Amino acid sequence: MTQDPYIALAGVRKGYRIGGEAIPIFSALDLAIPRGDFVAVMGPSGSGKSTLLNMLAGIDVPDAGSLSIGNHRLDRMGEAARSTWRAHNMGIVFQFYNLLPMLNAAENVELPLLLKPLSARERRVRVGKMLDLVGLSGREKQYPSMMSGGQQQRVGIARAIVSDPGLLLCDEPTGDLDRKSADEVLEMLSFLNRQLEKTIVMVTHDPQAARSAKRTLHLDKGQFVERAAS
Amino acid sequence: MSIQLRQTLVMTRANFSSLPRRLAISLSMALSVALVVAVLAGFLAMAKGFEKALAGAGSPSVAVVLGGGTNQETGSDIPADAIRSIQSMTGDIGVVRNGAGGLLASRELVVPVDVARAQDEASTTLALRGMDVGGPSIRNGVALSAGRLFAPGAREIVVGSRIASEFPGFGIGDAVRLGAVDWTVTGHFAANGSAFESEIWGDLDAVRAAFDRQGQVQSLRLRLTGPSSLATLNARLTAASTSPLVAVSEADLYIAQSERISSLILFFGWPVTLLMAIGATAGALNTMMSSVSDRTVEIATVRALGFSRFSTFLATWFEAFAIAAVGAALGILASWLVFNGWQASTIGVNNASTGFQLTVNGDVMLTAGMLGLAIGALGGAFPAIAATRLPLTAALRARG
Repeated sequence: MTQDPYIALAGVRKGYRIGGEAIPIFSALDLAIPRGDFVAVMGPSGSGKSTLLNMLAGIDVPDAGSLSIGNHRLDRMGEAARSTWRAHNMGIVFQFYNLLPMLNAAENVELPLLLKPLSARERRVRVGKMLDLVGLSGREKQYPSMMSGGQQQRVGIARAIVSDPGLLLCDEPTGDLDRKSADEVLEMLSFLNRQLEKTIVMVTHDPQAARSAKRTLHLDKGQFVERAAS
Repeated sequence: MSIQLRQTLVMTRANFSSLPRRLAISLSMALSVALVVAVLAGFLAMAKGFEKALAGAGSPSVAVVLGGGTNQETGSDIPADAIRSIQSMTGDIGVVRNGAGGLLASRELVVPVDVARAQDEASTTLALRGMDVGGPSIRNGVALSAGRLFAPGAREIVVGSRIASEFPGFGIGDAVRLGAVDWTVTGHFAANGSAFESEIWGDLDAVRAAFDRQGQVQSLRLRLTGPSSLATLNARLTAASTSPLVAVSEADLYIAQSERISSLILFFGWPVTLLMAIGATAGALNTMMSSVSDRTVEIATVRALGFSRFSTFLATWFEAFAIAAVGAALGILASWLVFNGWQASTIGVNNASTGFQLTVNGDVMLTAGMLGLAIGALGGAFPAIAATRLPLTAALRARG
């Protein structure tokens, strides 16, 4: 018996209109990702990586076709429902970390927990655990400007997983980091996938980053294409 | 604490923490609000001060009888036979009587006189009021601050303390030329800053003689047994003379005049202020749009994390409110420091100069402050809506 995929896109069509011109991105995209997978998505600029990530994040919706994550049809939800769903089921790791500069590390990590009915003490305990998990214990009070890029991205990862989501979406998580920091971040993502069974979808241009994933999907002109292993 | 409130608080905190990044434009918004608030407070203080000066002059226990179909002293004329009829009335007419049974009354006449503040300055029109010797004692709140009252029949005057302090040559013992004759200043009186302090008082017969107004009486002031006695007096007046006479309370007489001048001040003040407020609202809108633009990544990031549109709206709106509130507070403080107690004068009672003090009281502060907050509310609303409509895709690709 085959298990239903955790993430399922079927016949997804998506395009944009810029000025009077229609720009098609996907015409009939299909995708199935099982729970616990770690998928890297690669492809040239304009191939649709960002559009795919935006749709998986519920920030954008397909023009046609279905998009479900964990049996929830995101394409049928309104904007507010997708926002709530995102807050409870998904973490996002940004290329440029997107930490709020006026909040310290602990406060940045705490942000998603403010959307949950937790007491201040419960939130503090969970933030502490997450910072410990990403190796930043003792740096709770440090502001982003006082941290290296690698440390900031680890705060970003802690923020993404603090509400214990099943899915992590990573948008070029190593794109702004040196090799050593990038390796540490990738190691952490692998750990989260292996040990905590997070399903991870990572958009990247970096082949070395893609090798951390269990499999790599190549997007080109709005279609997944087969690539020979390098 | 509700989840919505938590979101709003953390976003508000983030907004305020990032204010130093846009300090100049935020300060300019606060200052433009402050300017509007200060200007409005100035006009309101002027109107309030004038009202206060005139309200302080009138007593509900003093009746002013006017003739000739007018409800102001200017233009009023009471025939001599009517005065004799009133003074000879017996029984209760609602007026206090003296030990001899006569009415506590004062026949009065106001003559405008031109007085120069200094030799090289244009003259100002002041009110010279001729009255019976009992006139000052009928009024409430009037007290001699120096010297003595004028003597019956003599060319002597007592002057209000505002005139004594603002015009040269009104020291006690000084001779002052009013009209064609010289008058001797025998005293100064205070009247709690009311419009009385802008008047010069002299003996009725002396004033009539000096200005060729023999036999003329504009008004008859009477001390009522109580505010409710006015109706009794009016009922008796209808039978006193063939010419129309009406008694109004001194309080109403001055309030009516203060309303006329106050309305005039506000008639000019509000449009000027509202025009400025429109400009300040446009400035606030521009400032807050800059704020939203400056915080695009932060707003989009928290929205991508699941924060609601409503909390985004509220946080941006609060920022506009807070900056406007700072501006309003600055404007109120400045207006209080500059305007409150400022001596001013205008053509007021009996077409003569009436002095008053600008008054920045609680009402003035509240009204001006509310306008300042309204600028923040209106100027911040559209940018707050714009903040809720930022494309979240900006957060995924932006360098934070």
